[in-house]
Amino acid sequence: MKMMMGSSFPEEVLEHVFSFIERDKDRNAISTVCQSWYEIERWSRRRVFVGNCYAVSPAILIKRFPDVRCLELKGKPHFADFNLVPEGWGAYVAPWIAAASSAYPWLEEIRLKRMVIPDDSLELISKSFKNFKVLVLSSCEGFSTEGLAAIAANCRNLRELDLRESEVEDLNQSSGHWLSHFPDNYTSLVSLNIACLNSDVSFTALERLVGRCPNLRTLRLNRAVPLDRLAILLRRAPQLVELGTGEASDLRPDVLSNLSGAFSRCKELKNLSGFWDVAPGYLTGVYPICPRLTSLNLSYAATIQSSDLIKLVSQCQNLQKLWVLDYIEDLGLEALAASCKDLRELRVFPSEPFGVEPNVLLTEQGLVSVSEGCPKLHSVLYFCRQMSNDALRTIARNRPNMTRFRLCIIEPRTPDYLTLESLDMGFGAIVEHCKDLRRLSLSGLLTDRVFEYIGTYGKKLEMLSVAFAGDSDLGLHHILSGCENLRKLEIRDCPFGDKALLANAAKLETMRSLWMSSCSVSFGACKLLGQKMPMLNVEVIDERGPPDSRPESCPVEKLYIYRTVSGPRLDMPGFVWTKDEDSALGLS
Amino acid sequence: MELQLALALPVHNSVKGFDLNDGGIESKEPVASRLWSYGGSLESKKCLKNKRSSEEAFGKMGGGVPQIFPLMVWSGQPNEEDDRKGQNRKTSSIVNKNEVEENHVVGWPPIKSWMKKQLHQQQQQQHHQAGRVKNDGVAERSGGRNSLYVKVKMEGVAIARKIDLRLFHSYQALTNTLISMFDKEQKFDKNGVNYTLTYQDKEGDWLLAGDVPWQTFIESVQRLGILRNGG
Repeated sequence: MKMMMGSSFPEEVLEHVFSFIERDKDRNAISTVCQSWYEIERWSRRRVFVGNCYAVSPAILIKRFPDVRCLELKGKPHFADFNLVPEGWGAYVAPWIAAASSAYPWLEEIRLKRMVIPDDSLELISKSFKNFKVLVLSSCEGFSTEGLAAIAANCRNLRELDLRESEVEDLNQSSGHWLSHFPDNYTSLVSLNIACLNSDVSFTALERLVGRCPNLRTLRLNRAVPLDRLAILLRRAPQLVELGTGEASDLRPDVLSNLSGAFSRCKELKNLSGFWDVAPGYLTGVYPICPRLTSLNLSYAATIQSSDLIKLVSQCQNLQKLWVLDYIEDLGLEALAASCKDLRELRVFPSEPFGVEPNVLLTEQGLVSVSEGCPKLHSVLYFCRQMSNDALRTIARNRPNMTRFRLCIIEPRTPDYLTLESLDMGFGAIVEHCKDLRRLSLSGLLTDRVFEYIGTYGKKLEMLSVAFAGDSDLGLHHILSGCENLRKLEIRDCPFGDKALLANAAKLETMRSLWMSSCSVSFGACKLLGQKMPMLNVEVIDERGPPDSRPESCPVEKLYIYRTVSGPRLDMPGFVWTKDEDSALGLS
Repeated sequence: MELQLALALPVHNSVKGFDLNDGGIESKEPVASRLWSYGGSLESKKCLKNKRSSEEAFGKMGGGVPQIFPLMVWSGQPNEEDDRKGQNRKTSSIVNKNEVEENHVVGWPPIKSWMKKQLHQQQQQQHHQAGRVKNDGVAERSGGRNSLYVKVKMEGVAIARKIDLRLFHSYQALTNTLISMFDKEQKFDKNGVNYTLTYQDKEGDWLLAGDVPWQTFIESVQRLGILRNGG
């Protein structure tokens, strides 16, 4: 029987077939079939996701994938969001943009997360890629409105400009505004998110822009856009699907009725956010569109209290995603559970995270109610001040379909408030029952035992966040030896040291990264790891000065280990140490 | 950076006898020389944590950590990025510092700076509204962690300033800071007798500052005013 070889198909046929294969995992798989499939696949890969910008270099990427159209990069470790990564650590995107500007003239999309992007790079983007369409900067920094002006002025085909929670310096305080750099004949805007901008927006420029872009679906305004202006914008863009309001404190009756009218004309509106400084009465203007809403982000609405929140969510029967402050309280979550049967994702943020006493009636009960009432709930982020093993067990049994469970009990090491025991059993129940759990964040009083459960049951777990937990290296050992699919592990303030790390060194090459801060890993162990594992970058981040000035057994402040094919990076600041490239040459 | 250093000190208090400022974190010159490590056994005891309850579980690990490690090099490099960024990011870094001051544990609870800023700003504004207490009634009572920003308006000066009263514990400390804050605007008499400090209380009345105990003052002050004494 003759075997059909892959190479007997014309390349064009294979390429056509491959064009239906989009997921990275699948593309990676087919590229291993044979040399010719590898070649065809790499020439036809259009979308690349680099989860850690230091895991590979621009040169290596370009060499393998010569015709990329969509590039996504992530930079700093997740804990950078909470100020644990000192400024100047890295994640500079400039070298990537520079390399892409010559290698990928047809690049259409750039998505960055936690990276530093200077205005120069924005300008380079605007001038290098003629067909540039999408720019998403999530939690990025290093740029100003000057850079945005360049994008506006030069990217004729821009569809999406999304500045999600980035830090943007405003240099256009007085004259001119970056928004007015969009040419008069520019009409292709589909999505604009400027919610993170601190300063005023030129309303005239904004109104004209919105008015001439008929395909605009997403508009997220910043706080500076007042309510009466919002109505004007809505009238210009009744086709909006996603809206982020500006501040909403002005509650004159005419403003409110004007806004209600504008809202009711937006038949496609499904996703609302913003709500800064909301005067509670303003919400009545939103009631007409509530039944259509699938996503509601009230996490900045610091002025809306429980009763108004209850009235609001009770009308959102089609809600799938709710982000809200703990002002919603247990009572509000009960109402949510009763009204929103399609709820998939819930995030409850603390209104007073640094207060010692609880300021709201939000307890574990609220989460239990939602877990009971919402059968599709699978993604949870919940800040609260008390929890019990009982509640966690109930939640686990109610929602075996949970995929993301992040619980933050505000005071570190808080025990089960009913029994005063650790919460090991509760979290154990979560990992045992929720077999598809991919992401887990722990809090409260936890011993090594919880890690035993996680290692035993958390077989699909990809990301784990641990703080103020565990007793010994055994805890870390359980995680590293048990969680087969672990990609990202971030740990702070836990008594984990050298033993577990060194014993599971090989595991680290199967993960994207490991972060450990305020733990007990010694400098000596870091050096050993760096020496033994050439495919890992072991970065010691220590602002006390060179680790060599302290004994080797001294614990390092922070440790970031990640796998890489491009060796130690060359842009480290003074407070980061890693193995020397020539270490292989031996001792002097 | 200094502020971060102070708070980034590790939990392990067993690090004794070492100058933590050794080497200096601000040094940005590249270190050309290789730094060889030395056998640290003399000092190592000082750094060992007490808990080693899992000895049995792991046993020996390939003879332990070898003594000489010429592998880790201090790769400090000039940090141009930092300098440039330092100039550009004035406003955002100031806000960050304030947040860091608020709580002892850095980065806990895990809330993004962006969100902290939003909540903070709105809560400040709520506080400014004369006579209005936050709906949940817990205004500035909760913990000692919240800051207490009030507006300070000096007579004759167009722009009002804001000040965090939680930073002070006495009228003297407050007036000293106010003097330096407004020093550029007006000429202060050495004893400050040219100006009077007033405040607006919860009921909306303007009163002379200094008549009630500091704690009482803190609980009721809504905003401050600096009046020029008639001449």
